[in-house]
Amino acid sequence: MPIQILLLIVIIAADVVAWKRVREGVIPVREAVLWTCVWLAAAIAVALPNATSVIAQLVGVGRGVDLVVYGAIILIFFLLFKIFVHLDKLESTLTDIVRKDALKDIKEKNINELTD
Amino acid sequence: MKIPYAKPHEVFAVIPAWNEASGVGDVVKAVRAHADGVLVVDDGSTDSTSEQARAAGAIVVRHRLNRGQGAALKTGTEAAIKLGADIIVHVDADGQHEPEMIDALVAPIREGKADVVFGSRFLGIDPSGMPLIRRLYFPLARLFNVYLLGVSKHVTDPQSGARAFSTRAAQQIVFHQDRAAHCSEILRSVTRSNLRWMEVPIHVRYTRETLKKGQKFSEAFRIMWQLLIHRLK
Repeated sequence: MPIQILLLIVIIAADVVAWKRVREGVIPVREAVLWTCVWLAAAIAVALPNATSVIAQLVGVGRGVDLVVYGAIILIFFLLFKIFVHLDKLESTLTDIVRKDALKDIKEKNINELTD
Repeated sequence: MKIPYAKPHEVFAVIPAWNEASGVGDVVKAVRAHADGVLVVDDGSTDSTSEQARAAGAIVVRHRLNRGQGAALKTGTEAAIKLGADIIVHVDADGQHEPEMIDALVAPIREGKADVVFGSRFLGIDPSGMPLIRRLYFPLARLFNVYLLGVSKHVTDPQSGARAFSTRAAQQIVFHQDRAAHCSEILRSVTRSNLRWMEVPIHVRYTRETLKKGQKFSEAFRIMWQLLIHRLK
C-alpha cells in the first residue's frame, strides 16, 4: 500500500539522519543505536501490521494499531512532562542568577549609599 | 550573617514591586514609620519603580528580569538578612496592607512569643471592599490548602501576603516558588516546622487598583500545577 511505502521511506530517512548526526559529532553512537531500535520497531509495525496484533493480544488490547496509538500517547505525555520539569528547572536557575545579580550590590555597597 | 557597616536596623519591611511606580513611593513612606529599614525589590519593572522607591527612602535591589512575587520576596529577605535585620516583614506594594499592621505582626516576635507571624484577614477585622467572589473563593482555597497541599487547618487565611519572620526563622524557611504558589509553600513549610507561629488579625483594603493586580481565581489551578511539578521534580 502507498502509505506503507511512504512511511518506510520516512523511517529510513530518519535513521539515516540519526547516523549522519553521529558522524557530525552531534549525538553519541549510543543515542543513534537507540534511535535505530525505535525506527526498526516502527518499520516492523508499518511493514507487518499483523506483528503488532500479536503483542496487542498478549497485552489485552484488540488491535495492533490501537496498541501503537496508546503507546505513542503515553510516550508523548511522558516527554511533555519531562519538558515541563526541565522548564521549571531552567526557571529556577534563571531566578537564582537574577537574584545573585540583584544581591551583588548589597555586598559591595554600604547601606548609606544604597539609601541615597 | 551581620555585616559590620550595617546600621543597627531591627525591623526590615520587604516590599516586592513590579511596575508600581505610581504607588510605591506612598507605600514606602507609610511603611517607614513602622520599620527601621524598607527594602523594595524591583522585580524587573519597566517603569520608574526603583527611582520612586529610592526617592521615598527605600533601599532598592533590582531583578533584571521579572521573576515573580515569590522570587522577589526571597531576594528581599536575603538582602534584609545581609543588612542585619532582626525581624523581616513582607508587605505588598499595592497598598492593600495598612502599615499599622507591621506593629501587630512584629510584636509577638519582639516579645519572644513567636518566630513567624501571619496576618489574617479573617480574624475579626472585616476587609474593606472585598468582592463577593473572593469571599466565596477563600474558604475553597483553605480546603484546597489543607487537603491537597497539607497546610495546617489552623491557618485561617491561606493566601495572606502579610507575614513577619525572625531572622533565624527566615533562614530556616526555604521557599522555591517564584510565583503565586509561594504563599502556600511558606505556610506549609512553617506549620510543619518546629517554629512557633501564630496569626494576628489585619485589615485589608481592596481598591480597584489592588483588585486589578491581585490574584485571579484561575490562579488556583496554576498554583496547584506549580507545586505538583516541583514535588515531582
